[in-house]
Amino acid sequence: MTHECSGNCERLRKDPASAPLRDLDRLLDLDTGRLSRRVYWDQRIYEQELEKIFARSWLFLAHESQIPKAGDYVTTYMAEDNVIVVRQKDGSIRAFLNTCPHRGNKLNFTDAGNARSFVCNYHGWSFGIDGALRGMAGQELFEASGMDRAEHGLHPVAKVASYKGLVFGNMDPDAPSLEEFLGDFRYYLDVMLDMDGEGTEFVGGCVKSVINCNWKVPVENFIGDIYHALWTHDSAARAMLGGPVAEVYKDPDSYHVNFNGHGWEFNLDIVGNAATLGDKEIRKYLYGIQPKVAERLGEFRSKMIGSISSVSVFPNLSFLPGQNTFRVWHPRGPGKIELHTWTIVNKSAPQDIKDRWLKGTMLTFSPSGVFEMDDGENFEFSTRTNAGFVTRQQDLYMGLGRDTRLADSELPGNVYRNQVNEANHRAFYQRWLDLMQARGWEEVPVRDKPSLPESAFANDSLKEVA
Amino acid sequence: MSALPQPQPATPALQAVDLATAHRIQQFLYREARLLDSEAWSDWLALMTDDIHYWMPAIENRRRADKLGAYAIGRGAYFDDNHFDLSRRVARFKQPSAWAEDPPTRHVHVISNIEAYAGEADGEFIVHSVFVNYRSRGEADNDLLLGRREDVLRAGGEDFRIARRKIVITQSLLMSKNLNTFF
Repeated sequence: MTHECSGNCERLRKDPASAPLRDLDRLLDLDTGRLSRRVYWDQRIYEQELEKIFARSWLFLAHESQIPKAGDYVTTYMAEDNVIVVRQKDGSIRAFLNTCPHRGNKLNFTDAGNARSFVCNYHGWSFGIDGALRGMAGQELFEASGMDRAEHGLHPVAKVASYKGLVFGNMDPDAPSLEEFLGDFRYYLDVMLDMDGEGTEFVGGCVKSVINCNWKVPVENFIGDIYHALWTHDSAARAMLGGPVAEVYKDPDSYHVNFNGHGWEFNLDIVGNAATLGDKEIRKYLYGIQPKVAERLGEFRSKMIGSISSVSVFPNLSFLPGQNTFRVWHPRGPGKIELHTWTIVNKSAPQDIKDRWLKGTMLTFSPSGVFEMDDGENFEFSTRTNAGFVTRQQDLYMGLGRDTRLADSELPGNVYRNQVNEANHRAFYQRWLDLMQARGWEEVPVRDKPSLPESAFANDSLKEVA
Repeated sequence: MSALPQPQPATPALQAVDLATAHRIQQFLYREARLLDSEAWSDWLALMTDDIHYWMPAIENRRRADKLGAYAIGRGAYFDDNHFDLSRRVARFKQPSAWAEDPPTRHVHVISNIEAYAGEADGEFIVHSVFVNYRSRGEADNDLLLGRREDVLRAGGEDFRIARRKIVITQSLLMSKNLNTFF
């Protein structure tokens, strides 16, 4: 009785891919570092992003630790599409549009829980956790009308897969695999997700808030903008550390790396980010595990576990190693986002350390956090100024670090010297442009060639769950 | 815990305080609100006991039958602070480089529905109240939050100190970019 549609079926009459907007390449010049402000404001660009970025990219859905048992579920969003992510009886994870296919009502109104079935409030249609339509009041009347229940289950997210605890979904059945989408960036993701082979978990639930900014502004901020920290976060650094932010631009051993539009900026000071939580037990923990991490991931990556760094995974997932805030910026129109934020920790960490991290993350990077307070203000006004008709025709500068590419680096991906850089911003917008100009994945150019074998990521923990 | 206010358990019966004490408690809460409105952060912090627990959980939408409830200790929280944590927040507010506070945010705290009862220990009081927290920034940033508070106050001479504060807001999706305020 399961509704087996994987993206295109009778009940989901998907529009054919619309023509890309003309002259998109005039919005930016990645060689000189020029970016049009229209990307933050134009409603037509936003509508294209929903179709060409969000409905065909792998989007973060949940951490496996949130839904350990059969029937455990969370509701979340893929851009503006509300979805239920639910653990199946066979241990796999599936995701469905959170809407009843009868009259279109929202199906589940909670953030999380455990369910044996999902029942619509409107007419009582009941669906299994596998999405199949189980029954409804007056079933015989529907049967007399010639309705086949098997065709009217919940619409599944076309692809669901996980990488080391992180569950992603993709609405496009023709999209490349998650492994291909992440590519060599997994080498860096393992710094956060695979320090000791025990994996990670979310602690403390989800904090949700609204910021009136374009979704790309915070993604840029996390993909490579340590530069802002020196100025924006001076007050928080003085409050938490007793002094200003470290002068990272003087660090000779710091980098921008990117692959497929995902980016990580970092230095190798092991605990620079963690230090801002102002908790020496967390620093002690990181220093304590670093030699073990070095055995597993090598000396270089072991120095990234809590260092001054920030990360965005294309298109809208971000996190901070060391501070351990983990977040998705869900778009809500060109000028608004809904921010979902969690705290991620090593599963193997002592409970006391997990508790300290949860508390520290909230004190620094949450709506009440002393760091985030100043970010929200910047994000909003970097968006809102573009209401001005003339203002939004003034191009922005995004050319920092244009000549810093390290051509002979042994690190995977595209590698740049100095973490005070905008190389990752440019790589993000290259990917954005490639997708925005493509009618389908077959038209997206392959710019970044993977150099690592699958075995480099301890393949056994990477599995398709749907 | 449900996001709904919990009715007090039948036993032991809560003992309402006398009129004079109720009045002093009410005046104390009003004065506290005025300190926050006037950005007198250090004076406000001085109203907290050294062992303060200042807690504002994040609210989740869960079914009534879900035993996990809308919030609990150890889950998401906007504030889960001891005195040292609060002092760090105050330290940030006082930095000249706290850009999001310059020009200043204008705050109004409205305190209402005050109920005061004798606490578990001598000289302690359980005080329920409701707040309206309204903030305005710059030209057109206006943020409105309402919620309930449950305090434990400790008498010290003629005055009080706040030893526990639980703050439960109505919003699950916080409709503001930040919480550059106290409750």
